[in-house]
Amino acid sequence: MESGAVHTQQQEEEKQKQQKEEEEEEKRKQQKEEEEEEEEEHFHVLAVDDSFIDRKLLERLLKESSYQVTLVDSGDKALEYLGLLDSIDNVNATSSSQSPQQECIYGEIRPGLGTDIFTGMKVNLIMTDYCMPGMSGYDLLKRVKGSYWKDVPVVIMSSENIPSRIRMCLEEGAEEFLLKPLQLSDVEKLQTHLLKSPEKYSSIRIDDSSFNTESSSNITVSSKSNIASKRKALSPEIEERRPKLKGLAVV
Amino acid sequence: MDSVVLLQRQLVDYTAQLFNEGFLDDQFNQLQQLQDESNPDFVVEVVTLFFEDSERLLNELAKALEQQSIDYRKIDAHVHQLKGSSSSIGAQRVQKVCIAFRNYCEERNIEGCQKCLQQVKNEYSLVKTKLETLFKLEQQVLSAGGSIPWPM
Repeated sequence: MESGAVHTQQQEEEKQKQQKEEEEEEKRKQQKEEEEEEEEEHFHVLAVDDSFIDRKLLERLLKESSYQVTLVDSGDKALEYLGLLDSIDNVNATSSSQSPQQECIYGEIRPGLGTDIFTGMKVNLIMTDYCMPGMSGYDLLKRVKGSYWKDVPVVIMSSENIPSRIRMCLEEGAEEFLLKPLQLSDVEKLQTHLLKSPEKYSSIRIDDSSFNTESSSNITVSSKSNIASKRKALSPEIEERRPKLKGLAVV
Repeated sequence: MDSVVLLQRQLVDYTAQLFNEGFLDDQFNQLQQLQDESNPDFVVEVVTLFFEDSERLLNELAKALEQQSIDYRKIDAHVHQLKGSSSSIGAQRVQKVCIAFRNYCEERNIEGCQKCLQQVKNEYSLVKTKLETLFKLEQQVLSAGGSIPWPM
């Protein structure tokens, strides 16, 4: 009788252990799903600045506002990230004149890995410092605007309030020109640029696993945002952070 | 009186003094606002980066001004960086000297540049000491079981 009771106890313990393991596995799966969902819902910002301190600040500011951030220290690195380092026409599946939302698939094709490998990624906003050694923020802006990323809003940052510089950038298609050092209020204000026309700024994202199957069935459009609720009205003080263009002579 | 409260009072007073004397400006407040439980050392981290970066730049500037033939563009580039980083952490007096420094660079005024280098070294040294004192006071408050009364 005794051995029978011990046997049952062991079985009981093992069952409990198994149950616990299954629960933890379930929890881990759930967590991963939540994380992936969060990644889907958060805007991704590509930030370009040669100053280490400013990158650290920018990272903190952006993460505080719930953005996903990728930081690079030069225009060249930014172009590399965007897959634009070679010629603009280095895209096999899409023609350079088509913007992302018109084509079902777009992504970065890494030369050397074969042209049928796509790594999808979304970029909802590019923020770049103006004054950088090598490629300036203005040059980067021009490159981006001439590529299939042209619909992604680009924000220029500068420590210098030079009206002609500002005008030049805005004319080239920059969404906004911000004076450094950036503050939380500046970053929060950026949301309005992203929410302006969701379809326009959405990017198409592909799971790596799906490139072999029909493209159309595996597209996730990351245009939704859970940041809508955080949207704040422009407060008067924010206006002062923007360089004023009124009163400038037309050159 | 409670030692924690005393220490906190000391911290508040010292910080206010730094702002009043122009060593720090509102950007420093911005940094403090970005510090929280998930980023508890943010201010110290950024300021430490500033110290390292500044020391490197000051060395480069000293070297550049010792050259036979002065490369003003290089000097200007360094000063521009120093101006940027001091501005990013709110080190107002350092930033102000940098502005003057850049003007002398533009004028290719060697004496003006040398004067400014000395000035910026002084201001940097001052703000470094003061920030280190500030951080020490914060540590004392925390060690005594108190919390940092930010933003002030």
